[in-house]
Amino acid sequence: MHRLYNSLEPRVMDEDMLKLAVGEQGPREEAGQLARQEGILFKDVLSLRLDFQNILRIDSLWEFENLTKLQLDNNIIEKIEGLEQLVHLVWLDLSFNNIEAIEGLDTLVNLEDLSLFNNRISKIDSLDALVKLQVLSLGNNQIGNMMNIIYLRRFKDLRTLSLSGNPIAESEDYKMFVCAYLPDLVYLDFHRIDDHMKEMAESKHQYSIDELKHRENLIQSRLEDEQAQQEELEKHKAAFVEHLNGSFLFDSMYTEDVEGNKLAYLPGISELLQAYKDKFVIICLNIFEYGLKQQEKRKLELDTFNECVQEAIQENQEQGKHRIAKFEEKHLLSLNAIRDESELTNFEMKIVEYGKDITELFNVLMTLEMQLVEQLEETINMFERNIIDLVALFIENVQSLMAQCRDLENHHHEKLLEISINTLEKILKGDVDEDLPDDLRPLFVDKDTIFNAVGASHDIHLLKIDNREDELVTRANSWCTHLVDTIHKNEIMRNRRRVKEINQYIDHMQNELDSLECSDVID
Amino acid sequence: MEVLKEKVEEEAATERAEAAERGEKLLRPLDARREEAPMTQEMLRDLEKKLSEIEIVVPEQPLTFTKDSIDISKLPLSYQSNTLKEEHLLQVADNFSRQYSHLCPDRVPLFLHPLNECEVPKFVSTTIRPTLMPYPELYNWDSCAQFVSDFLSMVPLPDPLKPHQKGNCFDFSTLLCSMLIGAGYDAYCINGYGSQDICHMDLTRDVCPLTMKHKEMVQEEEKVPSKKYAIKPPRDLSSRFEQEQEMKKQEEMKGQEEKQRREEEARLLEVEKANIDPLHGLRVHSWVVVLSGKREVPESFFIDPFTARSYSTQDDHFLGIESLWNHKNYWINMQDCWNGCKDLIFDLGDPVRWEYLLLGTDKSHLSLTEEEDDGMNDNDDVENLGKEDEDKSFDMPPSWVEQIEISPEAFETRCPSGKKVIQYKRAKLEKWAPYLNNNGLVCRLTTYEDLECTKTLEIKEWYQNREDMLELKHINKSTGLNIDYFKPGHPQALRAHSYVSMQPEMDRVMEFYETARVDGLVKREETPSSMTEHYRGRSDFLSYRHVDFGPRVKKLALNSAESNPRPVVKITERFSRNPEKPADEDVAERTFLIQEERIQLRYHCRDDHITASKREFLRRTEVDSKGNKIIMTPDMCISFEVEPMEHTKKLLYQYEAMMKLRNEEKLSRHQAWESELEVLEILKLQEEEDDAHTLAISIYDTKRNEKSKEYREAMERVMHEEHLRQVEAQLDYLAPFLAQLPPGNKLTRWQAMCVKEECLSDFKQRLIDKANLIQARFEKETQELQKKQQWYQENQVTLTAEDEDWYLSYCSQAMFRIRILEQRLNRHKEQAPLKYLALEEKLHKDPRLVEFLKVFV
Repeated sequence: MHRLYNSLEPRVMDEDMLKLAVGEQGPREEAGQLARQEGILFKDVLSLRLDFQNILRIDSLWEFENLTKLQLDNNIIEKIEGLEQLVHLVWLDLSFNNIEAIEGLDTLVNLEDLSLFNNRISKIDSLDALVKLQVLSLGNNQIGNMMNIIYLRRFKDLRTLSLSGNPIAESEDYKMFVCAYLPDLVYLDFHRIDDHMKEMAESKHQYSIDELKHRENLIQSRLEDEQAQQEELEKHKAAFVEHLNGSFLFDSMYTEDVEGNKLAYLPGISELLQAYKDKFVIICLNIFEYGLKQQEKRKLELDTFNECVQEAIQENQEQGKHRIAKFEEKHLLSLNAIRDESELTNFEMKIVEYGKDITELFNVLMTLEMQLVEQLEETINMFERNIIDLVALFIENVQSLMAQCRDLENHHHEKLLEISINTLEKILKGDVDEDLPDDLRPLFVDKDTIFNAVGASHDIHLLKIDNREDELVTRANSWCTHLVDTIHKNEIMRNRRRVKEINQYIDHMQNELDSLECSDVID
Repeated sequence: MEVLKEKVEEEAATERAEAAERGEKLLRPLDARREEAPMTQEMLRDLEKKLSEIEIVVPEQPLTFTKDSIDISKLPLSYQSNTLKEEHLLQVADNFSRQYSHLCPDRVPLFLHPLNECEVPKFVSTTIRPTLMPYPELYNWDSCAQFVSDFLSMVPLPDPLKPHQKGNCFDFSTLLCSMLIGAGYDAYCINGYGSQDICHMDLTRDVCPLTMKHKEMVQEEEKVPSKKYAIKPPRDLSSRFEQEQEMKKQEEMKGQEEKQRREEEARLLEVEKANIDPLHGLRVHSWVVVLSGKREVPESFFIDPFTARSYSTQDDHFLGIESLWNHKNYWINMQDCWNGCKDLIFDLGDPVRWEYLLLGTDKSHLSLTEEEDDGMNDNDDVENLGKEDEDKSFDMPPSWVEQIEISPEAFETRCPSGKKVIQYKRAKLEKWAPYLNNNGLVCRLTTYEDLECTKTLEIKEWYQNREDMLELKHINKSTGLNIDYFKPGHPQALRAHSYVSMQPEMDRVMEFYETARVDGLVKREETPSSMTEHYRGRSDFLSYRHVDFGPRVKKLALNSAESNPRPVVKITERFSRNPEKPADEDVAERTFLIQEERIQLRYHCRDDHITASKREFLRRTEVDSKGNKIIMTPDMCISFEVEPMEHTKKLLYQYEAMMKLRNEEKLSRHQAWESELEVLEILKLQEEEDDAHTLAISIYDTKRNEKSKEYREAMERVMHEEHLRQVEAQLDYLAPFLAQLPPGNKLTRWQAMCVKEECLSDFKQRLIDKANLIQARFEKETQELQKKQQWYQENQVTLTAEDEDWYLSYCSQAMFRIRILEQRLNRHKEQAPLKYLALEEKLHKDPRLVEFLKVFV
């Protein structure tokens, strides 16, 4: 294609160019006059047109934070870049450029209309972030593989697509293929797709589409499952009892325990181990259920607290609003009265009166706020006590259950030791079992070795249990302190904000009064 | 059979005698007993007259008829004579009556078989003809009773001591009973004694049910249990002692008021208590009892057929029961009525309390469905439990009364002559049939201040079938306030309109069906200088608009014909919160002070704030020192912002906001003006409707719907014409030619040929004539056109524009005519041979000629 500006030098997007464009495209007439007076900030611009500028590289656009529409068509851009800041962009036109690959669009999640017409793109990809995409124009490019169309299936809102002028569009099956694989499409290459066409396409490609759909569904369901599992785990974590609803803890005790695993092959140990495991798991389940129950309790407590605090704040706000509304009613009257007043003495009297009113309003509002602060403080303290008690109780009970685990472990350890010593004695006596595994033999050399081995196993187990318990206790405690801190902090923030608000309002009123006085003095 | 019947009779008689003896012992005589009166035939005759009247006489004149007005000969045979079975029944009844009067000499003779309008004695039970009415409205007892009370007109008993002279209450209860039994209720007619008010249908001492207000259910607000973390209220520092003192004082005041009120009430009651009726307890009345058990009736109750009101069986108005009956049997009350009906037990199966006339009648001869029959039989079985000799029982003969039929017209008209007036205590209720009044009035309730009904307090008028959907007009005489209520369907979706005067720009309140309106208007209130509108569910969240008007500026007489709207001084608009906008940009209230050129905005309050942003725009057009127009200066917009933001400080932003607001101000003013127009329109419509009052007629109403009638007639006419055309189609072509031949003779072959030839040549001539005619017209038209053209060319220079126009239009019309004629001629030329051939063909096939022509072919 012959371009008029081919003879021109490539230009750089600099401040001057942008300013010029903004000024040209800004408001007109009276508003334009004002705009020139004040100057337009780049971040206030919503729409920008930069076509036929011979731009080679996209640059200097980071200030246009709120831009929704950007036209960069008919330039000589080779790479999509520098658009990362423009997250509000809805409409992007990059047609008639020299772009070779789609890239740099990952932050533009609001984009609905993207035009890449007449470029050198050969593959459709890197559009994953554009979930709202409705119109995609990719005509006159070099897309040669039909499989690119399957990529577009992920855009649920895509209604308009243009691909004419690509190598794939020359294929006989092109239209059918697109219609079949993108059933929600309404316009293809600027023509409306009629229902007849859709039906034909569907029946033609039915088999492969069904397969594709099946695969997609599988992936979808797997994702959903994973998500559900993740959510469940999160819930358990919030209750501090994750992985306690099974033999996870027990298994972890034995993963690093080399001796223990070896000793399991001793005759009679496997039954013992099984019994031990069953009991252990039951206790774990107890802890798990108790944890969930306690979590519910804590949640209920927190919800009640939040609700009550919210109610209190709401009521207080209503009171405040009511006061202000009453004041404003009066204020309007008195302002008018002051304006109309001609006699100086009366005028001054009224001004003083009005000033008094303002002070009184201030006092009333501040009293209300102080009252609320006191009330909330009391409530928060009560809640703090309760929640700390709850957590403490939870920890205590969990600890006692963990102690049971430890007892089980001790018991098991004794049993194991007994069997080991018996075996050792047998071995020493030469009354050796033939079926003793080879890697067990080095342990049964003397009493110390076997003692050490069993002891090491026991230590590891105890350590694991202790670790789990510690983890639970620390997390519960830290959650509790964090919660209480946040509540206190929020309350303080709220108080600050309200006081600031009141002050601001009163200042405004006072200013208004002062300006009245001033104007009068000038008069 | 005869033997069996006699046996039954005997047995029944003996049983009756025994029972009567028992009854006599139980029955304590009433305080006052009437003298033995002659039989009550006359009464029943009257009743029958009435009943028959329902069936056959046009209900427009029910009040005016006398005994002679019914042509007895027109009545069916069953009215004029008794069947064998009926005769037998009468004998049984007579026998029973004799025994009864013998055993209970101090009781009133039984009311068993009065004469009907044909002077034939008929047993009371057979006058009940259970009928299920075809109107769904009459399926329930209350509407049924209301209908009966409206349908028959009440004639009071001239002498309450002689019940045999006139007995309209018996008509009422018999009819009502027939309908109730037909609808499946367990209903009975009662012959007994009522209070004076009941017997005379005197409701003047009752409060009108329509005036009684429904007591609002005071819902106990559930006290929410205070939550665990509810904040403690601030300490109350006011004195409790003072509060208590105050409470005491108030209670005292209240007590005094209460006392005064009670005294007042007592006084009123005394006044109201009219002189005591000397005939108390002797006034004969007839009413209906509905017993529990059927149609889910939980408790037995009385219905007074005059007023259609239901009473409990303990009511004071009913003073005693002599007997009761339905279509199957007759029972005599053996219980003591010293305490009115309060102690009566309606267990008809109890032979001690209720003496029956017929033994276990278990067969019914009703026009009812099988199911209902079965149900009744079951019931009877229960009632007659313990009586083994069922096979010997005597059947009640079928009712001699014709099936009760009520025509739809009569059903709609309801009251005789379509009008009814009921006098209540301090109220008067008037009812009309729909379409009777040409303004659609169907009911009027007038409430009076005093007992004598002289000072009107308020009037309520109900309307039906109004084109403007007016439903109820409520006129308060004391305040002069009128309230009109409308059903959905008013052109402006009006719901209610309260006003003092119909003049525009006066105090009025209009409520609307806001879902039917595009603008979501709920209510519009007007005072002479303002108008307030409330909206709901608008997409722009407008909820309220208040417009203040200034005094009308006097205009010069120049354009006085035009409307002179009042100048708008101030418009206040309020908006509800738009959840999509941040609170700081969502306007809560805006005020346009139009004469001061000032616009005030108040924004919504944020969720966690107590102050809201405000902004005030002042429009000043000034010129600066250099003579340039000042577009916008910082002091033209005073704003208070809860959280100041950068972009709102800019003049450009403010300028744009102001421009937008100025446009919106114009819009608001326009809307206010439109509202005013709408009010005028509504008022005009109402006035027109009051003057013309056309009534809407349902398309299903074949009788009244003129349009459908016209349509139907038109259809009939079309059918008729079609028929005529068909007749014409079979016109005889040969008739005129055959008529020329000598009559009577058979056609010869030559004649037939001649006839055919003549006919064909005649037809040919006709075709040619027609073609010529068209041709002639065509030529004439062309000539005329040419002439005109010539004239035009000659006078072209001197022609006025008008003439030219006229000429051009003439030309185009002439051309059109010529073209049409040409087309016609062509078509005629094409079709003429075809028509000719068709006629020839037809003549060939003509039965009169066929035998002669065949040979030639």
